[in-house]
Amino acid sequence: MKFLAVCGFGVGSSMVLKMSIEKACKERGIDCEVENTDVSSAKGTDADAIFTSQELGDELKSSVKCPVFPIKRYMDKEEVGQAIDQFQENGGN
Amino acid sequence: MLTDVLPKEHMQQIEQIETWEAAIELASKPLLEAGYIEDAYVKNMIASVNKNGPYIVLMDYFALPHAKAGEGVNQLAMSLLKVNQPVDLKGNPVKVFMVLAAIDTDSHMQSLRDISRILADEVNYQCFISGDLDQVYQILQS
Repeated sequence: MKFLAVCGFGVGSSMVLKMSIEKACKERGIDCEVENTDVSSAKGTDADAIFTSQELGDELKSSVKCPVFPIKRYMDKEEVGQAIDQFQENGGN
Repeated sequence: MLTDVLPKEHMQQIEQIETWEAAIELASKPLLEAGYIEDAYVKNMIASVNKNGPYIVLMDYFALPHAKAGEGVNQLAMSLLKVNQPVDLKGNPVKVFMVLAAIDTDSHMQSLRDISRILADEVNYQCFISGDLDQVYQILQS
């Protein structure tokens, strides 16, 4: 499983989001690799799902094939966990 | 240690401020004065929110303004501004602005890890948002 955590620059917020995703996956026993990156790099990177803000997600949706999950609070483990649950319910292998 | 990157001299607390832009400018002041960042970085942080949206609000009342690593940054550093009356950042009330000046893509990882760990604790988080600078500094040292 490969997830992308995306923000405008790929260094600050997305790094925090990556940590939240890793924590939530660990709690759920999901084996995953999470990469933090910026919007333009995300467009050319293969992944099983992308997690990002509402605004950046709207921009990304048209250029990627995988599902894009909008996250409001990158540091909120609960919200990130819900998005991951949703990914799994939708058959994210 | 977190307080090596974010020492007490980089922290300020005020009662209120007009706008989130002014808050980012004021929060950046200690880093500008120390020569860790340049004006361009401050402008980029504000421009990023206008362009990319308010995702720098990582938790309720807590924002992490930052921009592209290395552009207008001379040294990895952080600063903090506490505003007692929440200021609006595009629909999100914010009381703590923690400026991150990143020099590259990963040398600040440990600092962000520390902050995530600290704020995951509800008691720490409440104190971080509502406490005074002495209390915040103590938490950051933990």
